[in-house]
Amino acid sequence: MQRKNILNTSMIHLFFWIFTIVSLVPFALIFMVSITDEDSIAANGYSLFPNKISFAAYSFLFNDFSEIARAYGVTIIATVVGTTVSLLITALFAYPLSRQGLPFRRTLSFYIFFTMLFSGGMVPWYMTYVNMFDMKNTLISMIVPNLLLSAFNVLLMRSFFANSIPESVIESATIDGASEIKIFFKIVVPLSLPIMATIGLFNTLSYWNDWYNCMLFIDKAELYNIQYLMTKTLTNIQYLIMKSSSSAQAGDLLAKMPRETVRMALAIVGIAPLLFAYPFFQKYYISGITSGAVKG
Amino acid sequence: MKKSFKIAMLVMLASMVALAGCGAKGSDEKAASGGTTEDGKLKPYKITLVYPGTAQKDLAVVQEEMSKYLTEKINATIELKPIEWGSWDDKTNLMKISNEPFDLMFTASWYYYPRDAAKGQYLELDDLMNQYGKDIPGVLGEDFIKGSRIGGKLFALPTKKEFGQGFGLLLSKKLVDKYKFDVSGIKSIEEVEKMLGTIKANEPGVTPIISRKFTNIWEAANYDNIIANLAVARGSKEIKAIDKLEDPKFIEFYKRMNTWSKNGWFDKDILTSDTDQAMNMIKAGKGFATASSLKPGKDKEMSLTSGVEVVQMETAVPFTTTGDAQGAMLGISRTSEDPARAMMFLNLLYTDKKLLNMLDWGVEGKHYVKKSEDVIDFPEGVTADTQTYPSPGGWMFGNQFNSYLWANEDPQKWEQFQKFNDSSERSVILGFAFNQEPVKAEMAAIENVNKEFEASLGTGAVDAEKTIAKWKEKRNAAGFDKVKAEVDKQLQEWAAAQK
Repeated sequence: MQRKNILNTSMIHLFFWIFTIVSLVPFALIFMVSITDEDSIAANGYSLFPNKISFAAYSFLFNDFSEIARAYGVTIIATVVGTTVSLLITALFAYPLSRQGLPFRRTLSFYIFFTMLFSGGMVPWYMTYVNMFDMKNTLISMIVPNLLLSAFNVLLMRSFFANSIPESVIESATIDGASEIKIFFKIVVPLSLPIMATIGLFNTLSYWNDWYNCMLFIDKAELYNIQYLMTKTLTNIQYLIMKSSSSAQAGDLLAKMPRETVRMALAIVGIAPLLFAYPFFQKYYISGITSGAVKG
Repeated sequence: MKKSFKIAMLVMLASMVALAGCGAKGSDEKAASGGTTEDGKLKPYKITLVYPGTAQKDLAVVQEEMSKYLTEKINATIELKPIEWGSWDDKTNLMKISNEPFDLMFTASWYYYPRDAAKGQYLELDDLMNQYGKDIPGVLGEDFIKGSRIGGKLFALPTKKEFGQGFGLLLSKKLVDKYKFDVSGIKSIEEVEKMLGTIKANEPGVTPIISRKFTNIWEAANYDNIIANLAVARGSKEIKAIDKLEDPKFIEFYKRMNTWSKNGWFDKDILTSDTDQAMNMIKAGKGFATASSLKPGKDKEMSLTSGVEVVQMETAVPFTTTGDAQGAMLGISRTSEDPARAMMFLNLLYTDKKLLNMLDWGVEGKHYVKKSEDVIDFPEGVTADTQTYPSPGGWMFGNQFNSYLWANEDPQKWEQFQKFNDSSERSVILGFAFNQEPVKAEMAAIENVNKEFEASLGTGAVDAEKTIAKWKEKRNAAGFDKVKAEVDKQLQEWAAAQK
């Protein structure tokens, strides 16, 4: 019995070790390529163990760091403001929906649910933000469209409130004379830290990784965010490769594009901060995902 | 549920109506008079120019300088709007659909010109040109303008650049010198084979030819491709599309590629390798040749950008198809608020050296210095890596023959271009562009089939006859007959319109 357990555990451990390695190798490769000498890539291809190390790509990037620094600034502002506002709106929407006494509760739930099933389509969506709200080339365009309020997150939060906050706690607070606002901020939110952290992390990730809104709404280079700075380099190259068979000029342009090592270095620069931030979220993250299963 | 559903619907309807109310902007009548005030002077106007590229650091500086100059000339300022290559499709589609006002946009046959012209995105230019662009026809010449027409109408003006495509190989200069290869004149495929064989036999570790571009080059040199492997054979006198997959010459060529592959002449990454990689391999001393479309001085350009010396060798006489004639153009958008002014600006791009070179190279003294009348170089202390206004590409705008030459370029460059343009053989269907719209669905299916076979056939790794037979079968099942009928119909209509 005991032996079987040890065997089982070690199998599981082994599986996860392998899984971890498989996940990490591509990342390690990107990093190694970014510090490889350009000519040695041309000669020998990618390798985890470069035969000539060079930090030329990084010195090239940091040589003109103002662009990257500004893009970082844009990303950080959008992420911080976006995550905060988004979390607040989501919670303020989800909490009333979780309370039994709210009039039109089902209608409102359906209203948010409906947006998950149907969307207006790309063009009206774009025109709403550009022609009506005039958001082109503003920071707001990277905060509001698509990212501010996710119906799924609202429903997730609603079920958390409904299942984890006992009705009796709220009742007793009401009897003690607390207002609805006070109940929400002083009792409900502190009790719901796990879900707040989870959805906060979702939001942070989606804001940090968002390049699509930046691509559509931003024309001015000074408002590019870090992800778009990276994506545009890669998509430019892909696009030109695609077109190079039909246009001689596209092929010529390709030759002027940043080199392999620079592309990889950009990827590392874009991803590093998030790697460091992740462990701090971890403890909430675990309890947020599992809390639904344990009734204490 | 029923009641609440109704309420939800009402809420939604109400909000839609409310939102729709503030969105509609009345489209006012275009000023057809060229935006003149009462006393015949031009009103100030901002011209917006949209083109693919990456915004340079000093874009604003150049824009400022150009605006100053343009204010003197046509009382206009300019806004340069480069859009990243990779975002172009998404962004410009939405710009067009959402009626965003802009004046001029880059377009080309390989960049949706036929589609956008059919959709009415670009204005017809003949009348505008006769009124405000009088110098343009003289600069461009008859052939260029004829090649840009769609259904007899002109929707965009081409850049005056190389008018046609040369075909051949870029070879490592080091190896050419070592084996004393003769690269002058036009080489037959047998002569190319001899060279590749020599390299294979005597240079272990060197790949004779890199990437499958050679097949693209060969096809482009022998056919005027329309769509879905329908093409007019080069040198054909009659306007008739043939199916390449049934052409003995085509099958013969791919059999030859299969032999090349068996000889071990191609690189091992042939499926994905491109010119960029090829140049890197040549630089690393691991490659000998790669195919490329050519123009005068192409080898010098490539040597400069890649840092390894290559020489060019032609394998066919230059050839001009509609695709080359429409290789780079500027169209005036239907959303332009003053098309006349846009045309005046275009007229300057074709005739005014100073303006064109500002757009191409930046501000004199800051981004370049003049060495002589038409020759320029970097200012003191500036290199290709530290320049703050890398050229957006002179091939996109106006008259490239007016563009200054760099000190390391051939001073005879434009004369050679002129010779090249005159020598290039015109296709019998120059000016014909196929409109895909009626067979869009079939084309999507056929494209998928092509993807499957094109690549493997191009690598030479498969048996040509068998693969082509399979390809044909699958393609015919995808609705090829309908496409062929449509091509024949459009060709006949076009031919009738030519008479």
